Amino acid sequence: MLESADLHFNVDHGYLEGLVRGCKASLLTPQDYVNLVQCETLEDLKIHLQTTDYGNFLANETNPLTVSKIDTEMRKKLCREFDYFRNHSLEPLSTFLSYMTCSYMIDNVILLMNGALQKKSVKEILDKCHPLGSFTEMEAVNIAETTSDLFNAVLVETPLAPFFQDCMSENTLDELNVELLRNKLYKSYLESFYKFCKNHGDITAEVMCPILEFEADRRSFIITLNSFGTELSKDDRKTLYPTCGRLHPEGLRMLAQAEDFDQMKTVADHYGVYKPVFEAVGGSEGKTLEDVFYEHEVKMNVLAFNRQFHYGVFYAYIKLKEQEMRNIVWIAECISQRHRTKINSYIPIL
Amino acid sequence: MGSLFRSEPMCLAQLFLQAGTAYECLSALGERGLVQFRDLNQNVSSFQRKFVGEVKRCEELERILVYLAQEITKADIPLSEGEVSPLAPPLKQVLEMQEQLQKLEVELREVTKNKEKLRKNLLELIEYTHMLRVTRTFVKRNMEFEPTYEEFPSLENECLLDYSYMQRLGAKLGFVSGLIQQGKVEAFERMLWRVCKGYTIVTYAELDESLEDPETGEIIKWYVFLISFWGEQIGQKVKKICDCYHCHVYPYPSTAEERKEIQEGLSTRIQDLYTVLHRTEDYLRQVLCKAAESVSSRAVQVRKMKAIYHTLNMCSFDVTNKCLIAEVWCPEADLHELRRALEEGSRESGAAMPSFLNTISTKETPPTLIRTNRFTEGFQSIVDAYGVGSYREVNPALFTIITFPFLFAVMFGDFGHGFVMFLFALLLVLKEDHPRLTQSQEILRMFFNGRYILLLMGLFSVYTGLIYNDCFSKSVNLFGSGWNVSAMYSAGPASEERSGLALWNASTVRHSRVLQLDPSVPGVFRGPYPFGIDPIWNLATNRLTFLNSFKMKMSVILGITHMTFGVILGIFNHMHFRKKFNIYLVSIPELLFMLCIFGYLIFMIIYKWLAYSAATSREAPSILIDFINMFLFPANEASGLYPGQAYVQRVLLAITVLSVPILFLGKPLFLLWLHHGRGCFGVSRSGYTLVRRDSEEEVSLLGNQDIEEGSNQEARCREVTCEEFNFGEILMTQAIHSIEYCLGCVSNTASYLRLWALSLAHAQLSDVLWAMVMRVGLRVDTTLGVLLLFLVIAVFTVLTVFILLVMEGLSAFLHAIRLHWVEFQNKFYVGAGTKFVPFSFSLLLSSKFSDDNGAM
Repeated sequence: MLESADLHFNVDHGYLEGLVRGCKASLLTPQDYVNLVQCETLEDLKIHLQTTDYGNFLANETNPLTVSKIDTEMRKKLCREFDYFRNHSLEPLSTFLSYMTCSYMIDNVILLMNGALQKKSVKEILDKCHPLGSFTEMEAVNIAETTSDLFNAVLVETPLAPFFQDCMSENTLDELNVELLRNKLYKSYLESFYKFCKNHGDITAEVMCPILEFEADRRSFIITLNSFGTELSKDDRKTLYPTCGRLHPEGLRMLAQAEDFDQMKTVADHYGVYKPVFEAVGGSEGKTLEDVFYEHEVKMNVLAFNRQFHYGVFYAYIKLKEQEMRNIVWIAECISQRHRTKINSYIPIL
Repeated sequence: MGSLFRSEPMCLAQLFLQAGTAYECLSALGERGLVQFRDLNQNVSSFQRKFVGEVKRCEELERILVYLAQEITKADIPLSEGEVSPLAPPLKQVLEMQEQLQKLEVELREVTKNKEKLRKNLLELIEYTHMLRVTRTFVKRNMEFEPTYEEFPSLENECLLDYSYMQRLGAKLGFVSGLIQQGKVEAFERMLWRVCKGYTIVTYAELDESLEDPETGEIIKWYVFLISFWGEQIGQKVKKICDCYHCHVYPYPSTAEERKEIQEGLSTRIQDLYTVLHRTEDYLRQVLCKAAESVSSRAVQVRKMKAIYHTLNMCSFDVTNKCLIAEVWCPEADLHELRRALEEGSRESGAAMPSFLNTISTKETPPTLIRTNRFTEGFQSIVDAYGVGSYREVNPALFTIITFPFLFAVMFGDFGHGFVMFLFALLLVLKEDHPRLTQSQEILRMFFNGRYILLLMGLFSVYTGLIYNDCFSKSVNLFGSGWNVSAMYSAGPASEERSGLALWNASTVRHSRVLQLDPSVPGVFRGPYPFGIDPIWNLATNRLTFLNSFKMKMSVILGITHMTFGVILGIFNHMHFRKKFNIYLVSIPELLFMLCIFGYLIFMIIYKWLAYSAATSREAPSILIDFINMFLFPANEASGLYPGQAYVQRVLLAITVLSVPILFLGKPLFLLWLHHGRGCFGVSRSGYTLVRRDSEEEVSLLGNQDIEEGSNQEARCREVTCEEFNFGEILMTQAIHSIEYCLGCVSNTASYLRLWALSLAHAQLSDVLWAMVMRVGLRVDTTLGVLLLFLVIAVFTVLTVFILLVMEGLSAFLHAIRLHWVEFQNKFYVGAGTKFVPFSFSLLLSSKFSDDNGAM
């Protein structure tokens, strides 16, 4: 089984794997971050980024440079790379890559619906959507008034359609329902992606399953954390947890009963993986739970590159690149807002 | 022209550039390309340097220029070449230039924006007219085929009447019409159906003409659609869906008169827009034409300016902040020129204080500069590909000029092939100024760059081909063979018995398939052929045996000579670097080791050639056995090449064995002795510092360094303190070197046998080609044969060029390179230097220096 994967992998996906590994080598190094942090203005940042693999991607931007311009250009660059991978991929890698875009599509749909609720113009929100998750029907999202409407009218032909099975309801879409919809979509998306990787077997499963398990558990924790002090009932909360993580089923049951952060922590203490994560929260540098999760994610993604002949590298690369972009945006924000004390709390990519 | 033997002497100079004149001075230096700047601010990150602002300004200018060039090429206006290399712009002009360019950019952007707007307007109007034209037919069709929807015709004809009718239905009939891209039609229709649950009627038709997509500028097919629906709410949804699919929606006229009115209005507006658009385009063209004149030379100027600021960023400021201090490597021969450049720069900027330079001594290794010309360039690059020579080291390129083509030719010996190669190279050399050659594609450029190598390779191949007497695998009888067949033939049996030699008679000639000439019969061998191999061997069956013996011995002789020469060059290196002990303790033992074994082998080969004639050849001992016996001391030493051979061989062997321990231990022990017994006398210092002592004295005599500078220099001296003496390390290095050398002598000699192997392969391959192709064509002797011969010659030519010239040539080339890099250069060449890269605009412009950021 293993041998056959090794034998045939390069025939179909060897080129792309080589490419993605090359791309990974172009991620910013710790030395680059040290230099970036020293920048006084965004212009300095631009000059330094020019010496890295970003090249002169900002060369055609007219002054003055803003953080959002940098962000858009970086996203465009990432999108170009991803589209290249996707256009050159063969099955089942292309399905894998489609799965990767789904999470961005969910985010975009939710963003648009929230925008429609707040009566913002579609154009304005479209600019904020992540380009990796854009699709044609996206702009029609605000036609719908209920979830089943949304499904029947707009999303039935998109890759998101299968995830809708659990969340059909006739409730009008208010803000809470939109949030619930997002989490339910995510739950079925993660479970489906997990199943896909598991069925694929081989090294892909070995690498991707832990990553997706972690992703699922992270969502469970975050949902729990965010639900404290809202009207979300404990049973409702339980339905939102993705069931493909390590916490399933015992941990999720306990998590559903948790009422504050300390109880959450006791749940996590039962698991060897999450105990150190929760212990790192707070700490001397005042890290938030989110930061700690990001750090753990980066670690897992970097480890994915230690194995060969699997699709996990694509997922890991995009996630690492995203983290890098978040870091650059963070540093850029700190620079432009003259808020240098927190500039060092970016997530280092090893 | 001694510069090719060793790299040029360099000196480290400090330039004191007055802040006001630095730019002009650097501009003058860049035009000349004399010096290499050292980065004095290595630990300052790129954006914290002094001239970042100016570099940014250059980048801004570059951005504008790129934009201009883009617009100009888009408008299909040829970029005028202008001056190929204009000087860097004087500082006063920079601001002016920047202003000009920025104004131009703003203007251009505005005009193009206007133009785009106009075009978009025009496109919309055109789309609208198309839509009106097409939808008219829709309505008619509806009337014909769908009688249930009577609303359509009624709306057309009796608007008022019908309106009441619709009100009765409790809903309002609405229309949305517009254009949609071809690819989106299906999805659009499906979505409409799903959302409106069938309460709409969609009609569409393909537009005959393709129109431009205003967003991407692509020419694509469009569909015109007309949606009719009831009710406000559905109308809202339909409009949203139209937005989502980026349809171009236009108002739908409700009556025929209105339609006509609109159409007329549209046509006049389109006319107007056309004229306006034409005028705008004309204006734009004028602006661009004016810009096109200067864009390319401006780009060069900006690039030079940017290079100057990058270089200025490498300089440090002195305490008073009034002048910049740059450290440069400069060839000693060019110091004078450097001074002149500085003067010129100061004069140009009209500064009161001149910029000046000051040579300083250093213990750092200077970069290597070997000046080359068109001819030597190729050979130098062969050497540089292995490693750039250490400073002032013997440069093997000088010898490579002859040995490389020669060794190649030994493997490629065929004067037919050589001559073709020579002609090709001659063509390249004669046409070398032709612009198409210099800008050619990669492969041809490769040949072009090596044209002089090819030329010499061709010439030498002609020479060795004449020696091997091979021309397309056939021999040429130029001087008449030295062998006489008829002398072997005797009519009667009497003579046979007389001399006891095997002569031929009628029966032997008739019955035997192979006849052997015997050189000891008088009259058969009349002396050697004047030049090269006797052509008669081309007919002989034992030709290969003869040639193999000859070529093998030749390879060994050439190889050992080549390597010995390498060791001797090592002596020149040691002499130059004042390391005399190395000559006695390393080079001489090496030479003895080589010559006593392999030199003696050569002696035996040549002695055997000279000492034995045809008559005595049967008694000649085998060199191989004799050579092996040299090490084994066998009991019976009856046969030998010459009397006293055993005695001589023992002496030689003793010398060889004695030279090995000297090689191993001599240098380390001597250094140890130096270190302990003779203190810190500077023999063990690295060579070039000693060589440069005189210039040090010169500097101190001048004594015009300011105090600050002096302390600076002291600090640098401290940095490069005497390297620690580590006996173990020296011993290890020397041991490794010795082992490598001793084993290398054997394996490298064997390696030179590739000369024989490749030359054999080449000869055999061309022989096969002749036999398989040419002979077939020559065998047919009817008139058809002439036609066939054309074909055969064509095939023969193609195969000769591609297999024998290109492929075989490449392989021989590679082997020749290997023999130089591995077997020859490892005897003396260190190749640990860095290349001298001057700050020069011509380098900047010729090489595709696109990653300017690398310089930062």
